[in-house]
Amino acid sequence: MIGFVYQLQKAGVPVSVQYIIEFYRALQRGLVTGLDQLFLLSRLIFIKRVEYYDIFEQVFASFFMGARDGVPGGIEWEELLAGKPFQEWLKGELESGRLTPEMVREFDTEELLARFWETVLAQQGEHHGGNTWVGTRGRSPFGHSGMYAGGVRVHGTGLYGTAQKVIENRRHINYSDRSAITTENLRQVLTSLRSLRPVGPESELDVDETISRTARNGGEIELVFCRELKNRVRLIVLMDNGGYSMTPHIALVKTVFSKIRDLFKDLNYYYFHNCIYGTVYLDPPRTRSVKWDKFLSESKSTRLIVIGDANMAPAELMASYGALDFYTSVRKPGWEWLRELRDAFPASVWLNPIPRDRWPYESATITGIGRLFHMEDLTLSGIKNAVTHLNIQGQAFDGH
Amino acid sequence: MQFEGTERYYLSPELREIVNIAIAMEKPLLLTGEAGTGKTQLAFEVSRALGLRMEEARCKSTFKGEELCYVYDTVLRLNDSRFGSGDTGRDVNNIWDYLRFGPIGRAFLAEDRRVLLLDEIDKTDSDTQDNLLDVLEDGSFVIREINHKVTAAKRPVIIITSNAKRELSDPFLRRCFCHYIPFPPPEEMVMIVRLHFPDLPEAFLEASLTTFYRLRDQGFEKPPATAELLDWIGSMRTSGASGPGAGRETSHIGTLLKRTQDLLKFKGILKPGRF
Repeated sequence: MIGFVYQLQKAGVPVSVQYIIEFYRALQRGLVTGLDQLFLLSRLIFIKRVEYYDIFEQVFASFFMGARDGVPGGIEWEELLAGKPFQEWLKGELESGRLTPEMVREFDTEELLARFWETVLAQQGEHHGGNTWVGTRGRSPFGHSGMYAGGVRVHGTGLYGTAQKVIENRRHINYSDRSAITTENLRQVLTSLRSLRPVGPESELDVDETISRTARNGGEIELVFCRELKNRVRLIVLMDNGGYSMTPHIALVKTVFSKIRDLFKDLNYYYFHNCIYGTVYLDPPRTRSVKWDKFLSESKSTRLIVIGDANMAPAELMASYGALDFYTSVRKPGWEWLRELRDAFPASVWLNPIPRDRWPYESATITGIGRLFHMEDLTLSGIKNAVTHLNIQGQAFDGH
Repeated sequence: MQFEGTERYYLSPELREIVNIAIAMEKPLLLTGEAGTGKTQLAFEVSRALGLRMEEARCKSTFKGEELCYVYDTVLRLNDSRFGSGDTGRDVNNIWDYLRFGPIGRAFLAEDRRVLLLDEIDKTDSDTQDNLLDVLEDGSFVIREINHKVTAAKRPVIIITSNAKRELSDPFLRRCFCHYIPFPPPEEMVMIVRLHFPDLPEAFLEASLTTFYRLRDQGFEKPPATAELLDWIGSMRTSGASGPGAGRETSHIGTLLKRTQDLLKFKGILKPGRF
């Protein structure tokens, strides 16, 4: 059992000692009478956020249901052949006479495996249209878990109820921290963004002051209210609408930010193309420009979120007259402009629609800009980190 | 004490197990999930099924946490001390006459075990949630003005709901059992609708559910949920419609889609522009 807890922790689920004690207490009370109860109980105790449901299910499947957690990037054939699903399948085939011991000896490993997969795939096909494990590949750290989960069913038909069903459907995958923002998890993104600026209660009775004034009035009651107004800040969202990588995200990003408009004194969008060369634009086709100096003269407490793929030719970033755009001929290289931007907005963060693990391969400029701006990807956890970063950075400048 | 569901509320086996585990472990049960998945309803059904009285707190963003336990009515006492309490029976010298107990206070003071519902906890500040933590954990709170400790006679069954308007703090989550109620799949939805409309013709039900799930997949700002589905079927039944219709001709669409944007999008007036 402790092993299970460590696996959860390794997979990135925060676990506290208190949970383990709670878990044993529940076992003592005899709450676990079967695998389903074990599944629900351990989920109730160890998992507090829906973001971790998917990871939990994969770990649970791997630990309690015979599925091994696959090493991303490679299938371990030896382990698979020795593993329970395969052995059980083999036993079943031999018993039913579909395979004879002679055939098993004659066939090489590949042939046997091919037949095994046929069975697995046929069963998957009956239930899920055949693409469950293919489709989910690579979306979680347990790269091949889907395949093994399929294998489980080969030997364990009907043994597991809720747990098995829940795990196989992977219905929580959209809520996973690692998934990109989509309409499905829009709500969660909004939740994270709302923590950008908590708005407190605005008035309360000042009891001490009321009593002292009342006393001074000779007993004539005078109610004194004090106001607890929190300073609200401005938010600027600066979007790259040039690159293809951004196009699918713009509408969604705007919806997201328009929803949290009420949390800010002001929310403005500006646009740029690829890299910034002294001008940003008010409209998406980039015709109405805003003077750079004016743009930079915002209060230091203004939060800036830059959304763009930071993917450009290195010359665009580093060279003078580097702009790809024919009409933009500016001497200062993009890097300098970006630094000015960074200095003008200490509370700033860069959100990148390219998933984090692909940054090093996509372009060298991502790493370059990443050194200048705090960069996160456009996933749930990325947005959460960005919000935390903005809040911490911004604290120093609030109230100015 | 076992909760088995009631005749009006469809309880998935998973959820039944979870409620019973939470009751057995005496832990607050935090339910999250889309609006209209029956989070609040569950608390009422638990109270009905177990025959326990209900204490209900609908949270507001201005809550500080303490008022859920008690409120000390300073203004009333000031008023009474100035103008006299008249024939209300209140004694200005007795602070207890000016203490009002909130839902948590009432649940703790009651002789019998109660169901305590904290509805939409996410509307409150994270400070408020932190304040409530210890109270719920220890089953006690202190009335600061007189340093009197109120301890729960019987630990209430605590059910907390959240619509995830705001992120809940980690310490808060740590002390609850958390469950995310997924949106019911069609098989379960059939049972839910059947509970409310037992005499609905099969074909009618099937057509409605098909339209309903198709609408949900279209990525509306506020996708229709169970509550909307029930309203919709209800209104179609009342108006005597023979079926839900299809495409843009879908009847009573206003009960399913609430946002103007969504309605416009549905009717195809609003072209989803790129920017």
